[in-house]
Amino acid sequence: MAKIHVVTDSGNDLSREMQAEFGIHVVPLTVRFSEESFHDGVDISVEQFYHRLQNDPEIPSTSQPSPADFVRVYEEIAEPGDTILSVHLSSKMSGTYQSAVLAGTMVDSSIKVIVIDTGCASIGSGLVPIALAEALQKGASLDELTALAERISENLEVYFVVDTLEYLQKNGRIGMASALVGTLLSIKPVLTVKDGFVAPFEKVRGKSKALKRVRQLALNMKEKFPEKKFRAALSHADNLTEAEQLASFLKEKLPLEGEVLIAPIGPTIGVHTGPGTVAMFIYPVF
Amino acid sequence: MEVITGLTLKNMLLAASYQLDQEKDFVNALNVFPVPDGDTGTNMSLTMEAALKEVEKSTEDDISQITSLLANGSLMGARGNSGVILSQFFRGFAAGLTKNKTTASGKDLARAFLESTKTTYRAVMKPVEGTMLTVGRLAADGAALAAEEGAGAGQVLKAALAAALEALENTPNILPVLKEAGVVDAGGQGLVCIFQGFVAGLEMDRRELESFFGKPVEKQVLKEAAAPPDETLENKYCTEFIILGANIDQEMIKSELESKGDSMIVVGDPNVIKVHLHTDVPGDVLQFCAGLGELTEIAIDNMLLQRQEYSRGQNGSHEHSHRLDFSDQPEPERELSLIVNPQAVKGVGLVAVVPGKGLAEIFSSLGVECIVPGGQTMNPSTEDLVKAINTVNAESVIILPNNKNVIFSAQQAKELVDKKVGVVPTRSVPQGISALLYFAPDQTLEDNLAAMDGGRKEVQTGEITFATRSTVAGDLQIEERDIIGLVEGKIAAVGSDPEEVAVNILENMVNEESSVISIYYGADEKEEAAQKLSERAKDKYPQCEVEMYSGGQPLYYYILSVE
Repeated sequence: MAKIHVVTDSGNDLSREMQAEFGIHVVPLTVRFSEESFHDGVDISVEQFYHRLQNDPEIPSTSQPSPADFVRVYEEIAEPGDTILSVHLSSKMSGTYQSAVLAGTMVDSSIKVIVIDTGCASIGSGLVPIALAEALQKGASLDELTALAERISENLEVYFVVDTLEYLQKNGRIGMASALVGTLLSIKPVLTVKDGFVAPFEKVRGKSKALKRVRQLALNMKEKFPEKKFRAALSHADNLTEAEQLASFLKEKLPLEGEVLIAPIGPTIGVHTGPGTVAMFIYPVF
Repeated sequence: MEVITGLTLKNMLLAASYQLDQEKDFVNALNVFPVPDGDTGTNMSLTMEAALKEVEKSTEDDISQITSLLANGSLMGARGNSGVILSQFFRGFAAGLTKNKTTASGKDLARAFLESTKTTYRAVMKPVEGTMLTVGRLAADGAALAAEEGAGAGQVLKAALAAALEALENTPNILPVLKEAGVVDAGGQGLVCIFQGFVAGLEMDRRELESFFGKPVEKQVLKEAAAPPDETLENKYCTEFIILGANIDQEMIKSELESKGDSMIVVGDPNVIKVHLHTDVPGDVLQFCAGLGELTEIAIDNMLLQRQEYSRGQNGSHEHSHRLDFSDQPEPERELSLIVNPQAVKGVGLVAVVPGKGLAEIFSSLGVECIVPGGQTMNPSTEDLVKAINTVNAESVIILPNNKNVIFSAQQAKELVDKKVGVVPTRSVPQGISALLYFAPDQTLEDNLAAMDGGRKEVQTGEITFATRSTVAGDLQIEERDIIGLVEGKIAAVGSDPEEVAVNILENMVNEESSVISIYYGADEKEEAAQKLSERAKDKYPQCEVEMYSGGQPLYYYILSVE
């Protein structure tokens, strides 16, 4: 019987446990510190990465998987007649989506590849393959799955706070938020993802004020979608304490479906946000 | 005098300007709060001066033309709240005299003053009695009563003055803050000066006025501060001399002497320079300048002793005399130097009134296109703000006045330009910065105004300065020159050390909700001292991020914000 497989990339910050639990295949991006390259989650751990990020004077860069990397994975897991849902971080932030699309045209024609752009990143983007895998276990059809992916991407709200804008700026991932760089005051903006790009949501002075604002924004979701339940996920860059505090706030204040997922931000995204980042992702369950 | 002519009216206005100029320091000293700002006297005097400059342009003695120039000139020149109200006073006055060409009778003048009352009361959102509004209104009533009884123009003006004086004396009985501070209303006093000038102008022509006030407009001589009520005086040696040399750098002399005293004048050409300075260290000044060239015509006078002689009645002159003649060197005009950061055309642009270089840089870095230097002591005129609005390359403009005494002029400037303008009524620098964080260039003027108005309220402002006179505030006994700390404009602490007072008022400002403390240190404050203050705040409030910046503001050792 023809099967449906869910593939994603390391920019979605799914832990090994989540990958195993939901049967999701992850294609790693590459992280490059000057001459040395690592496959995210394969030959560099999150801990090793942050240690190096904070001690290496050079800010590393990332590169997308090649189409061939995708083809290899697709052909390894799929039998002729199978379908692959390849779910990737925002095509505006990374060429990963583009690689997957190319791979879809290169793969054996008996395998159907549907590439999905979440328009987001980190565990927010990761919420999509998780929801798809769960629906798949419940026997959802392909049409239902693609509609589900679209609905989550559309309603997903993202707010995050970084310790410094330096990393976003150096990697050119800052988009509209660039207006905040060069202000003499230390401003901790609440950032969001808008149309696939990082964008400033609000300028705030001081991190605790910014995190307070993030909580407020979570509560606003309740007003925006009354009588709905929510799924929430948090990711953090070497900042579990603040992530856990935020998680217990969400558990207390929001009607949630399932646990609040907490994931460390892996090297792929961590390169761009820098240490200290805390990100919140919430969507209403329809 | 039954009627006044245009010529008499001009003399009246000239006399009013002279009288205000002469009394401005006295009026300044009537500030309810003993802080070195809110210069009502200076603001009204400069407004009057700007109005007079326009009036001088009238070639004819047409009363309606003179008053319309008066109204326009004061409108553009209006500085500070009192200046704006004065400009509205003249606007009403002009409206009352539009039909008068050659003469105005007592009835005409009374009618014009009643118009003034209407325009001034309309101009302020919540008219407060016991202020210059009341003085103007009661003066107008006095004038009306006299006119009804058939008095001529001269008698009407005298009746207005008498009523104004009576109203002024009564202001502390109406407004408790005045009584507490032991002063009459400063704006009211300024208005009384104008009525005094009007009456003086009835009797004297231009030449007589010039010699009476001793201050011809064309040839400005040094203006000295009126003697303070007590017997202490900073910078008591009036020091004057000439330096003869070659290629002497005037700017270098100015920057060296600036810190050594006040009332500095350095004028001349690179080979002959006249220097005037009030200082406590005349020896240092002479020593420094002797290194630049030959000194001649050295004169050092002790102004304190001169004043004591004056107060004992042994000296006919109120002001100390000068040996050197500076009268051929007009005082440098208050020059407006806008800081413009040209940016691409956009929907909404920003103008901010900011004291100090460091703060100007901070505002610029937050996207403000045009900075009008000023605020605490230098209130920009309406015209300055109009110029600033016009330099901004945007369809609509938001003004951040950052001072309670500039908000009114900003609102007046709004009415005088073609662009759409909104004022976020920020009363302090921290409020301005907090409002700026909510600015979004891609949003409409209205949305930005709403968001920024919310933003300005998210911060508490503290200011550290010195007392300009002795007073009592609540249970705080304050001596002149004491260091005082204000929280949201109210005196909250007094001491002798700026850092101690800062630590003190932070206790009033920080609560468990606070997360950021910002310290902007002033032009006269050392970075090391500010650094120490910052460390102390960090130790005391570990839950807060403490940030320190060089604000460069004058007179205020520190501006603090807690959010």
